[in-house]
Amino acid sequence: MTRKRALIAAACFVLCLLVPLVVDQDYQLNVLFRITLFAGLGLAWNLVGGYAGQLSLGHAAFFGIGAYGLVLFNEKLGLPIWLAFVLGVVAAVGAALLIGRVAFRLRGPYFALSTIAFAEVLRISAKNLTSITGGDVGVQAPALFDTHPSQWFYVSAVLLTALAFTVTALIVRSRFGYWLQAIREDEDTAMACGIDAASTKLRVLAISAALTAIGGGLYASQFFFIVPDQVVGLEISNEIAIIAMLGGAGTLTGPLVGAVLLETATELFKSWFQEAHLLIYGVLIVLVVLFLPEGIVGTVARVWRRRKAGS
Amino acid sequence: MTALLDIEHVSKRFGGLRAVNDVSFSVKEGEVLFIVGPNGAGKTTLFNLITGFLPPDQGVIRFAGKSLAGSAPHIAARLGIGRTFQIVKPLRNLTVLENVMLGAFLRTRSTTEAAAQARKVLAFLQMEAVSDLPAHGLPLATLKRLEIARSLATRPKLILLDEVVAGLPTAEAMALAELLLRLPEWGVSAVAGVEHVMQVVMRVAQRVVVLDRGTLIAEGIPADVVRRPEVIEAYLGAKYKQVTG
Repeated sequence: MTRKRALIAAACFVLCLLVPLVVDQDYQLNVLFRITLFAGLGLAWNLVGGYAGQLSLGHAAFFGIGAYGLVLFNEKLGLPIWLAFVLGVVAAVGAALLIGRVAFRLRGPYFALSTIAFAEVLRISAKNLTSITGGDVGVQAPALFDTHPSQWFYVSAVLLTALAFTVTALIVRSRFGYWLQAIREDEDTAMACGIDAASTKLRVLAISAALTAIGGGLYASQFFFIVPDQVVGLEISNEIAIIAMLGGAGTLTGPLVGAVLLETATELFKSWFQEAHLLIYGVLIVLVVLFLPEGIVGTVARVWRRRKAGS
Repeated sequence: MTALLDIEHVSKRFGGLRAVNDVSFSVKEGEVLFIVGPNGAGKTTLFNLITGFLPPDQGVIRFAGKSLAGSAPHIAARLGIGRTFQIVKPLRNLTVLENVMLGAFLRTRSTTEAAAQARKVLAFLQMEAVSDLPAHGLPLATLKRLEIARSLATRPKLILLDEVVAGLPTAEAMALAELLLRLPEWGVSAVAGVEHVMQVVMRVAQRVVVLDRGTLIAEGIPADVVRRPEVIEAYLGAKYKQVTG
């Protein structure tokens, strides 16, 4: 990324931060919070699923640990709220290292299935450990912001997205970023280049899990009340993955485009179709995989390059 | 000259198949050694054993005096063993330059330095014209060179070339052979596995090892080895028997 592009990106994020000065209705800010939060989550997933090519369908595990971490460290252990928030993120990194150690032994669809399995184990545990998590009855999440919560949650989501974007931009330009892409393209070749594929994948999963858990903590506190199906469910895992794939897995701006499109569409579909929006999700996945395997940004970039090469 | 690579009584079985059977030989520093044998003779398995992609069942492999037993592939690469893949494995969605940079990243953290190193290697292999093209869609001859370029960029002490000339037209194969002759400029010893491209073997090889169904049956300088009756029978067939005899 050139200096000019970095400045443009920085300007965009500053503009996003200024939105609460204009928009002051809670509903609108909450929708914007959701779009921005999932943009950040999509970016986080993109490091593992896009650049490193490891199709995780279990990111709800890290999201859920971030959410329940905040709640449990604060409510059950009585730790200060922001410390609880940080500990939730640390716990997610720990979980990523454990899950990765096992799941990365598998390649391709077997890896994807194992990530689903890990997230499901966590979800089912959370449902049944009622004395700790409240089970399906749910548990109240502490408030991170006392005044102007809608504004502050939106601003935090923008900061998370900016962080995930910056981390991705720095990684992509670095040797580590090239290593990730080499692993995606051909793991044997990567190893023949001296790349320790196993530890590289673990490291990127840890980074991705940390960012995802930050999102989980923000989401829990903003929602005020959480149940396992909502924060550790397959739906969260899928949503995060689809956003990145729709926008363009392995592209820097893809998850941003994907989040804006998908979250706006979900918001509309929810009022029009109620639960049928899940059906639309399914159809969307099939269409993207069949016709837009590079996602929107990936496809546009390819056509653009071809035009440029042709002229 | 000291031995760079020592292979002592190495065996590997796949079920009932003895893919590599009690093979011993060594490679000296600066040497270009060819392993001749048809498909299934055990060349690729041997390369996989040396580079840690497979563990040997028996035997010892020593590189620069150190045992490689059980080392992971990336460790072998870091120690200085480069390899190419018989079935080319380019990083398809990256450019040729980026492919080679990934080799160079083994010795440098800097992207600019890796790019500079990669360009040097691409110039040596006469691939500058394609350096900005994506690796997918390139012809086989270019992909074979790309395998060498990526491996050479890791600055290996030893490079294992698995069928780098297989499937290439004779002119391409001979052009590649001329480049292999210049490998010592890079301070690298080479072991090349070939099936039957004898012109290249005769031109480039300093020493030849012949494998037959996992067993080493002959070793020596190319001119001698190709005249041995058992080698002619097993590998080169009646056609060569007439030519050489």
